[in-house]
Amino acid sequence: MFDFLIDGFGVALTPLNLGLAFLGALLGTLFGALPGIGPINGIAILMPLAYTLGLPAESSLILLAAVYTGAEYGGRMSSILLNVPGDAGAVMTTLDGYPLAQQGLAGPALGLSAVSSFVGATIAIIGLTLFAPLLANVAVMFGPAEFFALMIFAFSSMSVMMGKDPIKTAIGAVLGVLIGTVGIDSGSGVLRYTLGMPELYDGIDFVVMIIGLFAISEILLMLENSHSTDNDGELPPLGRVFVSLKEVLVCKGAIIRSGLIGFIIGVLPGTGASVAGAVSYTTEKRLSDKDNTFGTGDMRGLAAPESANNAAAVGSFVPMLTLGIPGSGTTAVLLGALMLYNITPGPMMFTERPEVAGGLIASLYIGNIVLLMLNLPLAGVFARVLTIPRWVLVPAIAILAFVGVYQLHSDLFAIYLMLVIGVFGYLLRKLGFSLAPVILGYVLGGLMEQNLRRALSISGGDVGILWQSGISLGLWVAAVLLLVLPWLVPKLLAGRKLSAG
Amino acid sequence: MKIAADRVLGIALIGLAAFIAVQAVQLEMPFSYEPVGPKAFPVGLSILLTILSLVMIFRPGPNGQWPHKALALKLLLVLVLLLAFAVLFTQLGFIVSSLLVVTALARLFDATWGKALLTGVLMSVIGYFLFTTALGISLPSGYWFDTFI
Repeated sequence: MFDFLIDGFGVALTPLNLGLAFLGALLGTLFGALPGIGPINGIAILMPLAYTLGLPAESSLILLAAVYTGAEYGGRMSSILLNVPGDAGAVMTTLDGYPLAQQGLAGPALGLSAVSSFVGATIAIIGLTLFAPLLANVAVMFGPAEFFALMIFAFSSMSVMMGKDPIKTAIGAVLGVLIGTVGIDSGSGVLRYTLGMPELYDGIDFVVMIIGLFAISEILLMLENSHSTDNDGELPPLGRVFVSLKEVLVCKGAIIRSGLIGFIIGVLPGTGASVAGAVSYTTEKRLSDKDNTFGTGDMRGLAAPESANNAAAVGSFVPMLTLGIPGSGTTAVLLGALMLYNITPGPMMFTERPEVAGGLIASLYIGNIVLLMLNLPLAGVFARVLTIPRWVLVPAIAILAFVGVYQLHSDLFAIYLMLVIGVFGYLLRKLGFSLAPVILGYVLGGLMEQNLRRALSISGGDVGILWQSGISLGLWVAAVLLLVLPWLVPKLLAGRKLSAG
Repeated sequence: MKIAADRVLGIALIGLAAFIAVQAVQLEMPFSYEPVGPKAFPVGLSILLTILSLVMIFRPGPNGQWPHKALALKLLLVLVLLLAFAVLFTQLGFIVSSLLVVTALARLFDATWGKALLTGVLMSVIGYFLFTTALGISLPSGYWFDTFI
């Protein structure tokens, strides 16, 4: 049953892939540490460069996955030291991490977060190894109707879980899907929304989309933030560098529970590290905060979200690898990267391309150990990254973005398009939208339409096929419940209170 | 003020939805093998977008802070610089265009002239050799220089 993993280690342990996992872990930690450049940006910037290296699919996926998990590690740096979360997943880390740093315990706090991240990720990687093949076996039975229902479920769970405003999350996803419809329609050969521009016949290129949406909009946002934070260049003293075993053991309950919570939340499509961090923190606060020390520099309050957000990052590989449905914005980007290599992730990947699925999972084990080894002793070195001034960072992002997009077709149209998408992304962010639903919609939209049309072709136009099977009906019901319950439950509770009062 | 932004956006999105629906209905298919065709999906999306936009118009959510005037001007400058980068990229070649743009960008992000110039020189030259020799990407050397070389 675990043949794929043994083969996977065979793939991951080749010198090239081992080196890439190491390089990815290093770059990921750096990208995660830089405020504003989270995992998505890191992968968006590196993906086109990885593609030009001519690496085989599994190697470049190993590189990008290592960047992803590394960025989750790096995100804690600015949270703990500067009270500025490096990405959405690290928001909860600031609550107890920053007070610890102010008490002169920044070093132990960084060490503890590295250990928690390691344990959380390990729990999730084991979960991935156990559940992914099982889920893939179930998913093999999915037809187009089931996939369509699954995507409806993914979008509804995303609307509820991701971002503060469900309506804006849903609008963002719809906009993403619409952007995905530009180009020649594969079913009929008709041109859609190309506005008469031949450059758009092939649709909006994935690389152009993510670099514009994330990197360019980030450059514009950084201009504003550079005036709101004045703590550039000043880091609190790290104190002693290592965390003691005793401190880790105090947190062991929090770390393990949060790892499990994080994994489960990561597996749900559409919910990522940020939700996992928040849920685990509130759970742990309820369970073990007897003296009201959470929020004032409690080690458990730091360990819980760190364990959970790494577990969720790994957990979101489960739906991506087995169903082809990304669990988060970042895995949506990874999914797009696979599509560049003409690999469609999904249940067949474990049988048809075991070297990709197995190699990736095996490399996660290796990358995780590399990350712990890098992060424990080198926390002080990585912390220096925070002092890189924006006037170096911003031009560097600009150059990487331009070169990454230019090398696709060596034409300028893609660059102009990237800038337009960047302004669009900036406006969305200013209007309170999060970008992850947009990219998820963009990646999933095409698949969704294909599956819908395929299902209706099979049934000869009868819509009933969409909820005929037990699996698809169950998914529809789950999707509707997810949308209705958060709205209904508080009303019911309020009603009961009223009648009781 | 904040609430108004969401309402304006909602109206703009309904306009977009209408455009999408009209375009989709006007699509002409020479022949069709399948019952759904390329029209239904965009039309469905535009209906969904309209409903969601209506909800947002009636129940607007929180917005980010909009930049004040001086910052808006700087934002525009950054955009102009990026646009200039795109225009000059093939004209002047990678090294010269990125030297100019990186220096200007660094200045905009509060670097001193000396530091900005140093960043520009280092990034454009090291970047060029890194991308072309190490990564094998072909970058424009510039029409302007081609005549000399």
